[in-house]
Amino acid sequence: MATNVEAPLAGNIWEVLVKVGDSVEEDDELVIIEALKMENPVYAPADGTVKEIKVAKGDVVEEDDILIILE
Amino acid sequence: MKPYFEKMDDFGKELKKGRIKRAAESVENLNKTEGLIDDLKAKVKEAGLPTEKINQRGSMTVWQRIEYLVDADSWHPLHSLYNPLDNDEGTTNVVDGLAQIEGRWAVVIGFDNKVMAGAWLPGQSENILRVTDLAARLNIPLVWLVNCSGAKLPEQEKFYANRRGAGTPFYRHAELEQAGIPVLAGIYGTNPAGGGYQGISPTILLAHKGANIAVGGVGIVSGMAPRGGFDVEMLEELIEKTREFSATPPGSVDTHYDKTGFFSHVYEEETGVLDGIKEYMQAIPAYQPKFFQVAEPKEPAFPIDDIYSLLPFNQKEVYDFDEVLARLVDGSEHMEFRPDYGPEMYTGMVKINGMLVGCIGNRQGYLGKDYPEYGDYPGIGGKLYRQGLIKMNEFVTLCGRDRVPVIWFQDTSGIDVGDDAEQAEVLGLGQALIYSIQQTDVPMMLVVLRKGSAAAHYVLGGPTANRHNAFTLGTAATEIAVMHGETAAVATYARRAIKEKDAGRPLEPVAEKMNELAQQYLENSKPAFCAHHGMVDEIVNLKDLRNYLKAFAGAAYQNPKSICPRHHMIMPRIIKG
Repeated sequence: MATNVEAPLAGNIWEVLVKVGDSVEEDDELVIIEALKMENPVYAPADGTVKEIKVAKGDVVEEDDILIILE
Repeated sequence: MKPYFEKMDDFGKELKKGRIKRAAESVENLNKTEGLIDDLKAKVKEAGLPTEKINQRGSMTVWQRIEYLVDADSWHPLHSLYNPLDNDEGTTNVVDGLAQIEGRWAVVIGFDNKVMAGAWLPGQSENILRVTDLAARLNIPLVWLVNCSGAKLPEQEKFYANRRGAGTPFYRHAELEQAGIPVLAGIYGTNPAGGGYQGISPTILLAHKGANIAVGGVGIVSGMAPRGGFDVEMLEELIEKTREFSATPPGSVDTHYDKTGFFSHVYEEETGVLDGIKEYMQAIPAYQPKFFQVAEPKEPAFPIDDIYSLLPFNQKEVYDFDEVLARLVDGSEHMEFRPDYGPEMYTGMVKINGMLVGCIGNRQGYLGKDYPEYGDYPGIGGKLYRQGLIKMNEFVTLCGRDRVPVIWFQDTSGIDVGDDAEQAEVLGLGQALIYSIQQTDVPMMLVVLRKGSAAAHYVLGGPTANRHNAFTLGTAATEIAVMHGETAAVATYARRAIKEKDAGRPLEPVAEKMNELAQQYLENSKPAFCAHHGMVDEIVNLKDLRNYLKAFAGAAYQNPKSICPRHHMIMPRIIKG
């Protein structure tokens, strides 16, 4: 089952910490969003494998945008 | 109260491999900064004459005396880098810290007899007053190792007079004694004038056989009457008198043990004086820890070294405060107070060495949708909002009611700003928190984990809470300033930039000034600067933090002025619901 990892807040993609195919565990840091002058990590909501990465460093994202799809 | 305290809720998680990997550079920076701070401390310790030279003269150094006096592994130095008036000697010339003597906590302070035979130096009285305040706040004895040659005369204008000058500690000693807090003094060497009062003002005076205390020493007695200048004939007279008095300085043990009886005991050996202090420490009122322990002491469930990977050196990087706290408290257990309210602040009861302590800390990162509830902007940890301020007011008040000491952890950029925030009463609630702290009358300590900024640095149990904050620690990541340097540059130069622009002049010089100011802020907010100027009482390596928390809790519970029976506490019941 696919799980969407969404942006909790609007900002710039500071860093993508995973690659397609990586296995991740719940609470692993996946992406860093720069917002409100801080580097905010986005965590994996569940164990899984990175199926798709929809953002790259420097992208501007809005709240609830899908960043990564896990399966 | 076993159901409440014996086993609290577990918190914290094992460190993720990804986190360890991502933190590698940060860990390196933290270690590097801790190394630099350690080097600075070592340099202060080596100030003045070499140890060998003092030993050749038949004396121990202040450091050797402390090592002999205090229980093994109990020395928790404070003010190691404090030198607010930039003395060339690199020190205020007193050495102090919290330590156990015969199993009882005391504040220990001694003159560094390697530097000008322990003279008064600029900044020293402020250092001493921090120490007398600490003894008062924790209600534990003050132990002096007196060895004070008097004032560094060429710089007397910097410290002799004034409200908080070199004589103020003598009044503070009297205040401590009036409050029932003993001041024990081991007295060595020659202590004239100010040194004499350093010797006479404590409660119990234990002297080495070679010690003397006097209103005036050889230098003063032999040149007492000014005659409007000097000539060779006068110098000859002075030499003769000085030789005479040097042979028999005023106020020796012959006078102050045999005749006045000021000295309670005189000891042949220097170590004998310290043994005497140990005997008196055995005689002071002190509860055994078990009296207040609500559970068996336990180490945290996770290694303390994890904190190096959890606390980012980069001030912009977000982290999980709860994970840091889980590495510091007994069993990594807690009872969190109002977890669903005021998410930017952690408030909860924890155990340190089996004793209850209230903890308050800034959480970091995005606070979730619709928070703060009064604004249409996202909330971010490190800032204080209405709910967090209300929660802290409640928590502090309950800690006061339940007689539970409080440990604060700051990493704050300030209180929320703007008209929405003003309507949400954050200004009033911040001052309300100050009022709440002021009325608790329980000991508090503060760790500035990273940022201490704006008024939030004051209201979060900062050192400005003079009567409550026992001491403040910093870390390798500490940064204290009224605001971020770039924010300060904008505040200072924004109008100037408009003027220059309107006048058609180039903006480069303004940008240059702004960069200079931002850089100055950066330099003047770093850990060593903060310690040098007394914004913190000590910079502590992260791995030593728990030891200081244990020292604080142990000292706070050694002889508290008031007690709340654990079965009368209300906070645990409120948490349980």
